[in-house]
Amino acid sequence: MKALILVGGFGTRLRPLTLSLPKPLVDFANKPMILHQIEALKTIGVTEVVLAINYQPDVMLSCLQEFEASLGIKIVCSREYEPMGTAGPLALARDTLIDGSGDPFFVLNSDVISQYPLKQMMEFHKTHGGEASILVTKVDEPSKYGVVVMDELSGRVHRFVEKPQVFVGNKINAGMYLLNPEVLDRIEMRPTSIEKEVFPKIAQENKLFAMVMPGFWMDIGQPKDYLTGLKLYLESLRKTHPEKLMDGPNVLGNVLVDRSAQIGDRCLIGPDVCIGPDCIIETGVRLSRCTIMRGVKVKRHACILGSIIGWHSTVGQWARVENMTVFGEDVHLSDEMYSNGGVVLPHKQINTSILSPKILM
Amino acid sequence: MASSEGANVAVIMVGGPTKGTRFRPLSFNLAKPLFPLAGQPMVQHPILACKKIPNLAQIYLIGFYEERDFTLYVSAISNELKVPVRYLREEKPHGSAGGLYYFRDLLMEENPVNIFVMNCDVCCSFPLSDMLAAHLKYKGIGTLLVKKVSAESASEFGEIVADAETGELLHYAEKPETFVSEWINCGVYIFTPEIFLAIQGVASERNNHGTLRRVSSFEALHFTTKSTQADFVRLDQDILTPLAGKRKLYTYETQDFWEQIKTPGMSLKCSSLYLAQYRLTAPDLLAKGDKSNSAKFVGDVYVHPSAKIHHTAKVGPNVSISGSARIGPGVRLIGCIILDDVEIKENALISHSIVGWKSIVGRWARVQGVGDYTAKLGITILGEDV
Repeated sequence: MKALILVGGFGTRLRPLTLSLPKPLVDFANKPMILHQIEALKTIGVTEVVLAINYQPDVMLSCLQEFEASLGIKIVCSREYEPMGTAGPLALARDTLIDGSGDPFFVLNSDVISQYPLKQMMEFHKTHGGEASILVTKVDEPSKYGVVVMDELSGRVHRFVEKPQVFVGNKINAGMYLLNPEVLDRIEMRPTSIEKEVFPKIAQENKLFAMVMPGFWMDIGQPKDYLTGLKLYLESLRKTHPEKLMDGPNVLGNVLVDRSAQIGDRCLIGPDVCIGPDCIIETGVRLSRCTIMRGVKVKRHACILGSIIGWHSTVGQWARVENMTVFGEDVHLSDEMYSNGGVVLPHKQINTSILSPKILM
Repeated sequence: MASSEGANVAVIMVGGPTKGTRFRPLSFNLAKPLFPLAGQPMVQHPILACKKIPNLAQIYLIGFYEERDFTLYVSAISNELKVPVRYLREEKPHGSAGGLYYFRDLLMEENPVNIFVMNCDVCCSFPLSDMLAAHLKYKGIGTLLVKKVSAESASEFGEIVADAETGELLHYAEKPETFVSEWINCGVYIFTPEIFLAIQGVASERNNHGTLRRVSSFEALHFTTKSTQADFVRLDQDILTPLAGKRKLYTYETQDFWEQIKTPGMSLKCSSLYLAQYRLTAPDLLAKGDKSNSAKFVGDVYVHPSAKIHHTAKVGPNVSISGSARIGPGVRLIGCIILDDVEIKENALISHSIVGWKSIVGRWARVQGVGDYTAKLGITILGEDV
């Protein structure tokens, strides 16, 4: 079976993290974002994954080779030289996706973290026998997104409405599809939107079905949602693999810590914290709702709340970091300093407090 | 020489609760003169400076606070100094000179040769013995302590013009709107008893006819209420200004530090100035941190003996910690005043702030002021029991 992951471009919303690494390789819960999806695909028997990207940094290639080797799955890149929209990349990858077996193929969105109910999707697809299945998720504020209007029992999709002004439904497109090869015949080799052009046509022919997403779903393309996604992910991990989470007297709630990280005493870690490999957390540190990437050193008595600290950075003694601060790679906050929502680009030393949210070059 | 035979008397003007509103919320519970700077009540600094005065017979505190606010303090400090200290209460404000005049009989009891007068909210080195030597040389009826400051800040105070050779006070202007001089009146004076005649002269003159005097446009709004009180006499405008240039008043210059303690922000700065002064005058008061289980001290720090500090805390520079305060493990204190009975929990950081009595600062909390003492909102202040 095949799959396509829409990776897209530069990941500008996740800057400054994406200034150091391409977005698919930015870590989420101690694993490169794209690996979460590739592993889920491998589990249900996908043998080849196409990554649709529109710019090709070399660092991606070497990582992909590693994933190929360790997972035993084939990974190829399909490069758009001009923006092809959300459907165009499928046409580009046509030759790889169609192998003559007639099997449907998955399409995933690289920014989405979820429980990847791929097996259930396959069963759903077989049952309804239609041409395409999409996953939808229930949200509180559907007007921010594209709403899928569907029949609740059969799952048949009536239509899509983009950012509706009145309430038409509360299910939105979760960005995961299972498509029969015939869908590719509908897509021309030009910039095309799958939600606006392709799916509505399939829906009109009553061949498009939607399955409501069981479990959590989050688009983690920007820092605030990244942290919310982490919370949901860790909650789910608590149910499925609680042994992976850290427990102890200085732990609150769900906390994921890499084995190679060192944590000092008199710390208080959690809830919803992820600590990467080779991190050093010194005595008396408070961490809450944050991600600490690989190789970060957090010095004594510091306090980090609701923030993301990039690879190999340092947070000084008694420093306080809060309110959606994001440090890029190799950022060093001096002792006793304060960061209130600072967004700091890589390779920077911060010697004065950041009193209100701003971007530091 | 008269001074070696005659007695001297010191007066410290402490003001009252209607004054010092800029010191709130801290002055809600404690009279401003008793607020601790560098571990000692504000008024104690000029009082201790009086030790430099030879043949000191008595120290008076004059103000219009309730007597009970000062009773305990006054008896304690009298015992310590072995000099009688007494609080004299004015039932209504008489102005800075009016107060002196009102209590003149008491002040003259010991027949003092010289009367030292100081404002309580002045923070300086009080070079009283050198000032006395100059005063005796001048043989005038009064000597003012003066200092040169920047032209911009001078207009906040009383500006003086002095003769560079004789040291005589030629001209005095209180908070002038236009530039008069870079030299300001520090609020520390030495007078001879003739000053009372001068005050009486001004009061009776006022009763006879209206005097023509220069007032600021701001004062003019308040003028009608105060001018009718014949016995409300201000030292600066009403006494010094008319006497200037008549070979009666002289000046003594100081180049040491000088600040006015009007706001809590200034109290932080003045506390640091006094802490720095301890290095010379009272080095034993500064914390040393040399024992194996003591905390790490940086710069000038005062710690009351009953305060407890965990050995992993780092304190200073410019920190003053009052009695029964408890500083927990891993706490960082910079440029702050911690008042009595405060508890600072683990790993918190306090910088450029004042933490009021009995307050509690939680674990990993951060209390931070900007560190600009002159700005109105430059520091963080936590009132009592926060």
